[in-house]
Amino acid sequence: MTASMLPLFVAIPLAAAGALTILGRRPRVQAVAMLVVLASALAGAVALIVAFRDGGAWADAVGLWPFGIAIPFAADMFTALMLTFTLFVTIVCAGFAMASGRAASPFFSPLLLVMVAGVSGALLTADLFNMFVFIEVMLLPAYGLFVLAAPGSAPLRQIAGARLYVTVNLLTSTIFLTGVGFVYGTAGTVNLAELAGVAAEDDTVALAMAICIFALSIKAAAVPVHGWYVRAYPATSPAMTALFSALHAKVAIYAIYRLYAVVFDGEERFLWIGIAVVITGMVIGGLGALGENDSRTVLAFSTVSQIGYILLGVALFTGAGLAAGIFYLLHHIVAKTSLFLSVGAVEERYGTGTIGHVWGITKREPWIAAAFFVAALSLAGIPPFSGFVAKLSMIIAAIDAGQVLAVVVMLAVSLITLIAMLRIWNGVFWGRPPDQVLRTHEEKDLPVAGATPGDGTSVVLDTGTKPRIGVALAVPAVVLAMLTIALGLGAELLLGLSETAAAGLTDTSAYIEAVTNP
Amino acid sequence: MLLACVATVVATCVLAPLVTRLLGRSAGWILSIPLLAAAAGLIVLGSGTQHVPWMPTLGIGFDLRLDGLSLTFMLLVLLIGAAVLTYSSRYFAVGRHTRYFTLMTAFAAAMTMLVLANDVVLLFVSWELTTLCSFLLIARSGAKARRPAIRTLLVTAMGGLSLLGAVTTMAVATGTTQLSEIIADPMWQEDTAVASTVIALLAIAAFTKSAQFPFQAWLPDSMVAITPVSAYLHAAAMVKAGIYLLLRFSPAFSEVPLWNTMLITSGLITALLGAVAALRRYDLKELLAYSTISQLGLLVAMIGVGTPEAIKAATVHTVAHALFKSALFLFVGVIDHRAGTRDIRALTHMRIRMPVTLGAITISAASMAGLPPLLGFVSKESMFTAFVDAPATPWGPITITVAAAVASALTFAYSARIVMGARGHDPDGREVTEVRPAVWAAPSLAALAGLVLGLMPFTLDPLISGAATAATGTTVEAHLALWHGFNLPLLISALVITTGVLLVLARKKIQPVLLTYRLPFSALDVVEAILAGLARTGRVVSGWSSSTAPRLHLAMPVIVTIGIGTVGVLGLSGLPAIDGNASRPLDWVLVVLLAAGVIAAMMVSTRVGAVVVVGVVGFAMTLWFMSLGAADVALTQLLVEILTVTVMVLLLRRLPTDFKPTPLRRTLPSLVIAVAAGLTTTLGVWALTGRRSMSSAAEYYLTEGEGVTGGANVVNTILVDFRALDTLGELSVLGVAGIVIATLLRSRRPASARRIEIDENSPLADALDNSVFTRTLARLVGPLIVILSVFLLLRGHQEPGGGFIAALVGGAGFALIYLMSPTDDVRRIRLPYLALIGAGIVIGAGTGLFGLTEGSFLAPLHTEILGYKLTSALVFDVGVYLAVIGIVLSAFNLLGLPHPHERDAAHGFDEGDDGDDPHADAPQTPDHQEVTA
Amino acid sequence: MTLAITAGLLVMGAVYLLLKREMLRIVLGFVLLGHAANLVIMAAGGASRRDAPFGAPDDLSTVADPLPQAFVLTAIVIAFAITILMLVLAVTGRDQDDDTTVESDVDEEGRS
Repeated sequence: MTASMLPLFVAIPLAAAGALTILGRRPRVQAVAMLVVLASALAGAVALIVAFRDGGAWADAVGLWPFGIAIPFAADMFTALMLTFTLFVTIVCAGFAMASGRAASPFFSPLLLVMVAGVSGALLTADLFNMFVFIEVMLLPAYGLFVLAAPGSAPLRQIAGARLYVTVNLLTSTIFLTGVGFVYGTAGTVNLAELAGVAAEDDTVALAMAICIFALSIKAAAVPVHGWYVRAYPATSPAMTALFSALHAKVAIYAIYRLYAVVFDGEERFLWIGIAVVITGMVIGGLGALGENDSRTVLAFSTVSQIGYILLGVALFTGAGLAAGIFYLLHHIVAKTSLFLSVGAVEERYGTGTIGHVWGITKREPWIAAAFFVAALSLAGIPPFSGFVAKLSMIIAAIDAGQVLAVVVMLAVSLITLIAMLRIWNGVFWGRPPDQVLRTHEEKDLPVAGATPGDGTSVVLDTGTKPRIGVALAVPAVVLAMLTIALGLGAELLLGLSETAAAGLTDTSAYIEAVTNP
Repeated sequence: MLLACVATVVATCVLAPLVTRLLGRSAGWILSIPLLAAAAGLIVLGSGTQHVPWMPTLGIGFDLRLDGLSLTFMLLVLLIGAAVLTYSSRYFAVGRHTRYFTLMTAFAAAMTMLVLANDVVLLFVSWELTTLCSFLLIARSGAKARRPAIRTLLVTAMGGLSLLGAVTTMAVATGTTQLSEIIADPMWQEDTAVASTVIALLAIAAFTKSAQFPFQAWLPDSMVAITPVSAYLHAAAMVKAGIYLLLRFSPAFSEVPLWNTMLITSGLITALLGAVAALRRYDLKELLAYSTISQLGLLVAMIGVGTPEAIKAATVHTVAHALFKSALFLFVGVIDHRAGTRDIRALTHMRIRMPVTLGAITISAASMAGLPPLLGFVSKESMFTAFVDAPATPWGPITITVAAAVASALTFAYSARIVMGARGHDPDGREVTEVRPAVWAAPSLAALAGLVLGLMPFTLDPLISGAATAATGTTVEAHLALWHGFNLPLLISALVITTGVLLVLARKKIQPVLLTYRLPFSALDVVEAILAGLARTGRVVSGWSSSTAPRLHLAMPVIVTIGIGTVGVLGLSGLPAIDGNASRPLDWVLVVLLAAGVIAAMMVSTRVGAVVVVGVVGFAMTLWFMSLGAADVALTQLLVEILTVTVMVLLLRRLPTDFKPTPLRRTLPSLVIAVAAGLTTTLGVWALTGRRSMSSAAEYYLTEGEGVTGGANVVNTILVDFRALDTLGELSVLGVAGIVIATLLRSRRPASARRIEIDENSPLADALDNSVFTRTLARLVGPLIVILSVFLLLRGHQEPGGGFIAALVGGAGFALIYLMSPTDDVRRIRLPYLALIGAGIVIGAGTGLFGLTEGSFLAPLHTEILGYKLTSALVFDVGVYLAVIGIVLSAFNLLGLPHPHERDAAHGFDEGDDGDDPHADAPQTPDHQEVTA
Repeated sequence: MTLAITAGLLVMGAVYLLLKREMLRIVLGFVLLGHAANLVIMAAGGASRRDAPFGAPDDLSTVADPLPQAFVLTAIVIAFAITILMLVLAVTGRDQDDDTTVESDVDEEGRS
């Protein structure tokens, strides 16, 4: 790997997407080509981690134009970690989509590849306007994947969700674009290295950047702009809910971390806003998850809460906090995707993920049940899974920074998260005890809040008659659940890498130097 | 060596699935061997420490330490664990019971790590693991056990979080996670604020684990678990984790009043409550559960007193309790097993002929009641010895001693109830016979140990001395003896026993009184009420964003942006001066034009009207861009406007003509938000733009741009040279939008077009006739437009033009060709739009890849072909061109044509001639998949 | 100032339309919002210099900043793509494009 190869993370998937579009309807070839591209990108990302194991950063001035003119593509440990995790999870989700039969469309592979290109571009770019463009490149294919369904079979809920998803994202992008405009209006540049530390000194630039960061927090589902996320994400197919949750909000969080570190230079004056937002987010997300009956909506709500935890890292802006935040971010990609995929596997086979509508499948589906259980505990921060290490390091960082309220809320909300996860566990995997089944038959005329359309016909499914989930559909969730165990027991590796990544944010000189003199 | 002992226990749990697979229930025998071996190893080792790196980044190690305290608890965990496992091997029916044995050994491993941990994080992790094992073991008992399992998990997990709070606070405050260093840290005596926080958190953690008031409710609740689980986890080992924790931290906190107060108060309340509750129960197991709570309460109170004597008493009583309570549980299990009930009332109607069982129960209950010559008597004597000498503050020794004495008297009474209840002496009742020795052997040992150790308490001296030394921080010599001479404790014991006997004699009178007595609330109801309350709050919170309608979700970001903008701008001070004169007189004309357009767009009530008005605003924008010196932008805006309006017109026929009227109560808030947003925007633009001189990048483009790129159209050179990466992203966006439209229409058919009633006699009726003009025009203009678009493409680098504009012009041409068609059932344009899109993206990305030969992606390349100077920028622009044409075509092709289901079969339109028809493989039946109510 | 006022007007109209129920109005709102964002970017280059940027002008003081123009071009085209997409979404619901229909449909399907 050399710095000039960084744009390949964008170029190769794009070119492959174009070629696969021309190729048209050849699902096998498309799938193989897509997986080869994704796997080689993953290999490249891992190579980057190795390259940055002692810190440092690379940048490529795309097109070899001079500094300030060229769009820079830059990477350091944080970028490399994000690339690795997003690519890995993309492969896993693509596997799930194929296993569930949702990837049969000839458009699936091209759309997914363009989305990967967009994600990678947004992670790599060191130019604000270019970030806007790559966020769009990431979102447009997502719109297509959102509405992907067997021909003529997309339910109205999916379209309604897509409307919400597209409109909110467009509004957000427009706000971001306006913010970028203001940044150019005040600072005269959109290059991150030129903007380094400017917002800490110039309040007008700080205001312009605040608009950008706010726009990113909408995408990250921060409170109070989280509602769309909770409603839109569960409206698409399970595979895509998992994928979007793993990529989109996380890219936005990455950008928030990066921009605050570089452009604000971690300025302390504004941190209280962040603390207030994340604490509210933890509480609202945690409680909201208790108020829903659809498994994926519960999970989406809990994401709102978890994003509070993740963003606390940047709101503390201490070395320990940032490292904890980065670890938390990566853990959440793994654990939450696993949860979405295990619940998704149930939904794909049994037709519904509504709490209390499927039951008693732990015996029939021990692997999926185990995957869900492990990932759920991990999400609630129970040892020995990765979520525990994430929570522990974040709490230590918060105590160290004197944020007692944040610590109390973190602890309390993790109990609420546990309750939310147990609700799904109890209502989908364990199911109700026999006496309650009878009662539900009597109650079936009552509308069930959050019920998915189409499942109202039979409130209680006779799970015994359905086909089993099967290996192909179970493997993705199980693999990620095993990863959350591995990242918990062998946390040291990722903790070390996160610390290196965080060091690149507390001291941005390597990143800036790389962009300035590529 | 220490690590080896831990590894042995962990390995047991890892191997358990395999062993059960091979041996079935008999695995219990085999699995108990490593536990005994580990116990032997620890005894031999006596003390020691070991460090294994774990998470050095956070300073956390897998640190182990064996001292007197951990040895005592380890022996309880391992020996009773072994006993329970052997008991299980015949308690169960024949079968594998893999999960049971795995979880039980996993629990043993977790307890081992908990007790041996010399790192607070390791301690916490093990603590939580025991909670998890407990949850899973309770939950195994079927549907009825789920709710209790969840409640137990939640209460203990809450305690876990409290412990986590304590652990992290201690780690940050002392800068280490080493348990021994934390305890030795002098800061606990100095910084009372931190010390108080930690004490409160630790106490809560211990109270939840050891079922102390006010967290006692989960323990009886958890009795739905099978007996071996109750005996091991909920009597002997797991509930002792809280006791261990308190003993472990006692050296640091035993001098702090808060510690004494919390522990003594909660401990004594629990002891009394538990004992009273135990007297009211008829279910033997439940009775035992309450007795456990009560006994643990006494232990907590002893630790709270904190003197060396008290700690010594606590350790002795821990051992005594583990022995008699596990034996009682296991033998109650035996009775339950044989008699099919454990209800005292039912048992009295049976003839129970189980000499070993009843004997062991009697010995154990006597030990619990504190009768000599059993270990329970020794421990109770030590307790009174410690209590009468308790420090005066904050609780007088008298109060403590009296409370403990009352609890002990009650203990005597319920112990007697157990013995009498289990006896079952109805000669006419069903005969219940003894189990095989394999079942009773191990628990009998525990019961017997209570007797032997009671007779020879001095054998425990080394163990207790070691434990008490570790738990006080000072050297404590224990000299246990059955006979202490005539002293105050003996007198109290005598009083207790006398009272107890009286209570037993008067039981017929006391029982009804006790049964009417009830707490005003049940702790379980409190847990359930909290859960229900949380669920209610949750529904309220999720209700704030319950709608999928975009309105609400679009309003929120706007409102927050208004807030940020207003507060931000008003907070700015010392804005730089405005650079030059930004307003021209002619601008005001545009302002008025736009204002009119915008207001009309807000008022208009028909869909066509709205489209037209917004179109007008778009054209006004074109003028604005012209006036700002942005020729390319103006041209693009114009073309985009034309194409957008065309597409809208295609779609309008699928929608109703009029908007539904909006009630004022909804309009008014929208209007307020809209006006505020507008004002904020104006404020922002005023404050944040036009206040600096030209940027250095702009200067570079204007001075160097033409020289380095060979293009005179600076904007175009930025697009295809300097910032070609943006353009690559943009062309991908366009291309993908085409694919997305195809995907969308493939996934769901669009709403059907409205029927338009046209008067047969109207000149408009005949489509073919009245489209003559446009068709003729298009025939002439069509080729011209194509040539024009190619021309624009080629000249783009120098003059206004370029890939976008060229393709948009081309697209407009296609729009014209489409619109001229007399009927809408024939696809006018048969270009494969998906291939065009794909080609555009491939060319764009491919051109960039060639740049790598020059050292960077998208580096410009120059070659001459046939004397014409060809730059990679032009090739790149061709990519842009193709992608834009692609989306325009896809929009017209997919939207303009009626959907297959709308097509009249009579037209005989041959479909399926290409692969890109969105519904080529859709079921063609009218009802396809659409579920209607 | 004129640019600031124009952008404000556009945002006002845009937000008003965004808060309506019909998807078509929302789309039109976004069209207006896009215009506003573009004007902000143009303003960011400085509206006092307005000569079209061609070649290598001698006097830079009157030439418009070309970078915002390039930004706006990109933004317009991206917005165009999404606008068309949203328009298609507007006609793939039930026979109406307003959100109330969607919600009541969900209910119907849920209970059917």
